[in-house]
Amino acid sequence: MRVAVIGAGVIGLSTAQSIYQQYHSIASPLTIEVYADRFTPLTTSDGAAGFWQPYLYDNGKIQETKWNKETFDYLLSCLSSPESVKMGVFLQSGYNLFTEPVPDPSFKDTVLGFRQLTERELQMFPGYNYGWFNTALMVEGKTYLPWLMDWLQKRGVKFYQRKIDSFKELAETGADLIINCTGVRSGELQPDLELKPGRGQIVKVDAPWLKHWILTHDRYTESYNSPYIIPGSRLVTVGGVFQVGNWSEQCNSTDHKKIWENACELEPSLKHARIVEDWAGLRPVRSKVRLERETIQCGPTAIEVIHNS
Amino acid sequence: MKSVRVVVVGAGVIGFSTAVCIAEALPFCSVTLLAEKLSPDTTSDGAAGILFAAQFPDIPLDRQRRWFKDSFDHLLAIAQSSHSPDAGVMLSSGCQIFKEVPATKKPFWSEFVIGFRLMTDRELKRFPDHKYGQAFTTIKCECSTYLPWLEKRFRKTGGQVEQRKVNSLQELSNGYDIIVNCSGLGSITLVGDTEVYPVRGQVLKVEAPWLQHFIRDGDGTTYIYPGIHSVTIGGTKQEGDWRLQVDDGDTKSILERCSRLEPSIGKAKVASEWVGLRPSRRNLRLEREMMQLQGRRVPVVHNYGHGAWGVTLSWGTALDALGLVRQCLHEMPLRAKL
Repeated sequence: MRVAVIGAGVIGLSTAQSIYQQYHSIASPLTIEVYADRFTPLTTSDGAAGFWQPYLYDNGKIQETKWNKETFDYLLSCLSSPESVKMGVFLQSGYNLFTEPVPDPSFKDTVLGFRQLTERELQMFPGYNYGWFNTALMVEGKTYLPWLMDWLQKRGVKFYQRKIDSFKELAETGADLIINCTGVRSGELQPDLELKPGRGQIVKVDAPWLKHWILTHDRYTESYNSPYIIPGSRLVTVGGVFQVGNWSEQCNSTDHKKIWENACELEPSLKHARIVEDWAGLRPVRSKVRLERETIQCGPTAIEVIHNS
Repeated sequence: MKSVRVVVVGAGVIGFSTAVCIAEALPFCSVTLLAEKLSPDTTSDGAAGILFAAQFPDIPLDRQRRWFKDSFDHLLAIAQSSHSPDAGVMLSSGCQIFKEVPATKKPFWSEFVIGFRLMTDRELKRFPDHKYGQAFTTIKCECSTYLPWLEKRFRKTGGQVEQRKVNSLQELSNGYDIIVNCSGLGSITLVGDTEVYPVRGQVLKVEAPWLQHFIRDGDGTTYIYPGIHSVTIGGTKQEGDWRLQVDDGDTKSILERCSRLEPSIGKAKVASEWVGLRPSRRNLRLEREMMQLQGRRVPVVHNYGHGAWGVTLSWGTALDALGLVRQCLHEMPLRAKL
């Protein structure tokens, strides 16, 4: 059986890994190939801070909450393995801040030690009156993706750097099953009106005295349009903006100024941090995750495609 | 014109905290700090500096609570400010875990740290040898940065620092009106205090930037404290042991014990090793005494014997010492104040 995965971000590579684990002994011989025009460190997953936290409320999309939980539990179990450092997976605690009381999030039982913030903690963040503290996981793309590629390569998965222009193109080379993990550019393979870019821009700084992530929330704006500070293993990611419909991958100085000023207000010690780089990426935004199977008729042949975007 | 001459002996976290407290509160005093060792060679420099207290058996609990609270609040304000990296003071979250359920479920300092709570079962799953735990956020104060920062503050008030070993208080009686003794272990010879003894501690500094939480075993001997530039892991508690050299057996034991708590430590590069002697005493000595030195009656304020809790109690005991200095001033004959 020949499986072709399109996309080498965290979704594409994780999907290839899962397929190998589940089927390599059952569907023998199993050939898995990954096609992408961008590989680590140039994917969207590489630029992301790598912080595990879903949108606050799933609004009834319990399947997504289930997937999020499975991901968390899987990564948590990796911590006790000697591979955890090479995977770029580690625990980090922090604060979600609000200007008024809000209901508990969908992920409250998934993360560790979830609780409301005490009065003293709220005093540390002037302007915010309510919030949560919990321990969550970090998965740093720049480390995790190379680890995944190495894992896959060792098991015979082949990688091809090439832009795929159509499912038909892959089907014609003999792929039995195509898995579409193309993220924000899925629309180029198959139009998807629900898929939009959610542009984000970040500043990466050297501030090793910061050991907690801080996410602020503003009820008038989307998540991640409000300041956030997420320390990583080497640098701290400072954001944020969430501009739906903006396809620009260039850094914008107005965004930089807004992000930096807001973050310094939230965390005064950032004034002393050395700015290392700016980056912009496009979150693949959709009303709900598209995970479904589709049979595409292509003349006399039927192409089996599974979408995971 | 500064009319009262105060000398502080000792340049560790206790000496400098006390000197700064006095110099900032009493502008009419000239304050000189004398010490044989200055940062980075003091005991304080090697300490991880995590704020966390134990209890002295014979000191009123209220006084100890005040010491802890004052120190914590002082350092919290610094951690929250833009000075945080300059002062080497940061917030640190983590847990203390126990193999057996401890007798004291709510230690007195639990209300002064932030967000103190019991660990959940899921959190304890990471530590199969341990069955009980406390999670909280506290402060880490890195003296190799904090002491130079305090020194800057001290010098701003006109304070003088002199590197010089003081062999006996007699040497100081002519030059100073009030002596403040923060000499830690040095008090054994300086004031003949036989109740002071060293508790040897060895630590390793490792490179593990992925670690964001501290983990401490309730026995106080095994701990992992991520800091600004490295992670301090330890340790040992060898009473009466004066050895300042690194012990390879201790290094091996520390790495084994810490790897059992946090497996990824096995992947960390060891950057350095260090040994310090905690200036221990059954009870911390914070009191004043009138001493007869070279024919003069000189007030001496003692502030030493902090053991493993120097950083933790530094500002609170310094404030207390300042209060004792004020009492000395109040009782001094008028001519000394002119």
